[in-house]
Amino acid sequence: MGGESRYMGLAYVLPYVIGLLIFTAFPFGYSFYLSFTDYNLMSDPTWVGTKNYEKLFTRDRTFEKSLKVTLLYVFLTVPLKLVFALFIAVILNYRLRAIGFFRTAYYVPSILGGSIAIAVLWRYIFADTGLVNMGLEFIGLEAINWFGNPTNALFTITLLRCWQFGSAMVIFLAALQSVDKSLYEASAIDGANKWHQFRYITLPLITPVIFFNLIMQTVQAFQEFNGPYIITEGGPLKSTYLLPLYIYEKAFKNFDMGYASAIAWVLFVIIMVLTVVAFWSSKKWVYYAGDKRS
Amino acid sequence: MKRSTTALATVLALTGISAHSAELRMSWWGGDSRHVATQAALEVCGAKTGHSIKPEFTGWGGHLEKVTTQLAGGTEADIMQLNWPWLPIFSPDGTNLVDLNTLSDTIDLSNWNEAAIAQATLGGKLNGLAASQTGMIYWFNQDIYEQAGLALPTSIDDLVTAAAVFEDKLGEGYFPFYLVGEDVVKWLQNVVAQSTGKGLIDDSTMTVAYTQDELVAGIEMYQMLVDAKVTPSWPDAAAAGNVQLYENPSWADGHYAGTYVWDSTYFKYAEPLTVGTLVPSGLLSVEGGSNDGVYRKASMVFSLSKNSDNLEAAAQVLNCLLNEPEGITAMGTARGLPASKAAQAQLAADGSIVDIQTEANDMVLQASGPEVSAYAEHPEVRSLMTDTLELFAYGELSAQEAAEEIILGTNEVLEKYK
Repeated sequence: MGGESRYMGLAYVLPYVIGLLIFTAFPFGYSFYLSFTDYNLMSDPTWVGTKNYEKLFTRDRTFEKSLKVTLLYVFLTVPLKLVFALFIAVILNYRLRAIGFFRTAYYVPSILGGSIAIAVLWRYIFADTGLVNMGLEFIGLEAINWFGNPTNALFTITLLRCWQFGSAMVIFLAALQSVDKSLYEASAIDGANKWHQFRYITLPLITPVIFFNLIMQTVQAFQEFNGPYIITEGGPLKSTYLLPLYIYEKAFKNFDMGYASAIAWVLFVIIMVLTVVAFWSSKKWVYYAGDKRS
Repeated sequence: MKRSTTALATVLALTGISAHSAELRMSWWGGDSRHVATQAALEVCGAKTGHSIKPEFTGWGGHLEKVTTQLAGGTEADIMQLNWPWLPIFSPDGTNLVDLNTLSDTIDLSNWNEAAIAQATLGGKLNGLAASQTGMIYWFNQDIYEQAGLALPTSIDDLVTAAAVFEDKLGEGYFPFYLVGEDVVKWLQNVVAQSTGKGLIDDSTMTVAYTQDELVAGIEMYQMLVDAKVTPSWPDAAAAGNVQLYENPSWADGHYAGTYVWDSTYFKYAEPLTVGTLVPSGLLSVEGGSNDGVYRKASMVFSLSKNSDNLEAAAQVLNCLLNEPEGITAMGTARGLPASKAAQAQLAADGSIVDIQTEANDMVLQASGPEVSAYAEHPEVRSLMTDTLELFAYGELSAQEAAEEIILGTNEVLEKYK
C-alpha cells in the first residue's frame, strides 16, 4: 500500500476516531475522575478521594438492594432470552410456507422493544384493568397485581426484555443456516434422530454465536433503563430498581454526579469481570472452525 | 436594493417590531391544557415582539432532570418555568440565573407583591417571577358523593364515615379519596402541621421540626384511612403501574372520588373526568388541630437563562406572557390564578377565571398554617419520605421505624446546606 493510500485510509477513519475520543473515551475517563469527587453539577467538582466508594460499600442500603435486583434481573433475562431466541430460530429454520413473513414478524419486537411507546404499551397490558387481567378474568381466574407486588413486577420487566428476542434470534438463524447439511445427512444414515442432531451437531457448531449473544445480551441487560423507568419507576419497594435507574436518580435528581459516577464504575467493573469469566470459560465450551478439538 | 431596505425598515418601524428578531427557546412542564395555552401565548407574543420562540415542554416527570442537565451544560432554554423549591438548588447565591432586577426597564416588576419578589430573591438577586401562589387542598367528585347520598367531607372523620357508605351504596372498588405515593408526603405534613402548628423543616436550625411521636401519629392516621378503605392501599394502587392519578381510568370514571393536590392543577384533574364534576373542598380538619396546616408556596416561577444570547428579547417575551394583554389572554389560568396584578385584573374583567379556580385559590390563601420551607421539596427529601412511607405501606417498617428513618434521613440531607 502506497503512502498516499495509507493517509487516505486514515482520513476515512478519522471522523470515527474523533467521535470515539470525544463522545466515548473522554466521558469514560472523566467519569472515573468524577467518581472521586463531590460534584453537584452547579459548582466545580471537589476531590474527596475514595469517600464515594466507601459509602457505596459500607452504608448504602439502596445500592445493595439495587445491585441484588440487577443481578437477579440479568441472570433471569439472559438465559431465558437466549433459550427462547434459539428455540424460535430453530423453528424458523425449517422450510415452511410464508417463512419470510414469520421471520419478519418475530424480528419486529426487537426493533420496537426498547422504545418508550412499547414500555407504555406494556404498562397498559399488565395494569390492574389491562389486557392480561381481562384475559385471566375471562377464563375464570383472579386478576393478578402485576405491578404492585414486588415479585410480579420484576417478572413483567423480565418478560418485556425476553420479548425483544428478535436480534438474538436473527443471529442464531444465520448460524443455523451455516451448519453444513452433509453432517445431518451422515448422522441420519448412522441412525441419529432430530434431538441427537441438534444436541451433537447443531449446538456445538453454533457455540461461537451462542457465546457472542451471551456477551451482548449480558451487557445490554446490565444497562436496561427504559422498561423499568417507564413501567414501574423502579418500584414497588425498589424491586425493579436496576442500577442504571439508581445512577440516573443520583445524577439528575439528587445532583450527586460524583456518587453516580462511582456507581457507574462499579457497574462497569461487574460487567467487565463477568465478561472476562465468560471469555475464560469459553475455552471449555466454544468450538471454532479449524479448532483442533472439533 | 436601497429602496427595498428602506421600505423594510419603515415597515418594521411602523409595526413596532424590533429590527433584531431573536430566536429563543422556552421550556416548561405541565398537562395538555397548559401546553396548548402556552404555545398559543408564544405565538401571539412572538408575533408582537418579532421574535420566534421554540417551545420545549414535558410532563412533570423527568423535567427536573432535563433542566438540571441543561443548566449544567449551559444549554438551558432562554425562558424557563422552574419549580420554586428548585431555585436554591440551581442558584444558591442567585448568580446562576439572571437577576431580573437588571431587566426592570423591560419587565414590569411592579405587578408582583413584595412577598412574591422576596420568595424568589436569592443573595439579593431576583431569580424568578411567580406564576401564581398555590397550595394543596382536597378536591372531590361531587356527583359521586351525591350518588352515595353524602355531603362533601369537611373533616378526616367525615372521610372515614364516607368510606363505609361508599362500599354500601356504590359497591366494591369505589373510594371516597385517593392518597398514594408522593401525595402522602404532603398530606402527612398537613395533618401533622394541624396538630403541632409546625412545618416539617425548621429553616433556622435546618433540621426536622417534628418529633418522632408527632410523625408517628400522622403515619398511623394514614394507615387508619387505608384500613377504613377511605383510600386504596399503596400496593393495590401500584397495580395500575407508573401512571399519574389523572391518567388512571379509575379516576376518570369516579371510582376514586377525591384527591389532595395543588389548587393550580384543577384542569389537569377535572378534564379527564368522564363521570362527575370536580369541586374544591378546602382542608379537612383533624380532631384537636390548632390550624388548617396549609401547604402553601409560590408555585412555579419564570426565570431567564444567564447563558441567553438574547436576554433583552427573552425579557420582552416574558413581559408579554405575564403582563401584556395578548399574552395574558392566551396564557389564561393554565398555571392557576396568575400572580401578576395586571393578569389578575384583566382575567377577572373579561370573565376568564373559572369560579372554581377562584374558590380554590381563596381557600389556599385564607387557610392558616406554618411557613413551608423550600427544602421540604428538595428532591432527596421527597424521595426519602416517599420511599420510607412506601416501606411502611408494604408492612416493611413500623410507624416508629418510618418516623425515625424520615427524621434521620432528612436531617442528613439538610446537613449539606447548613
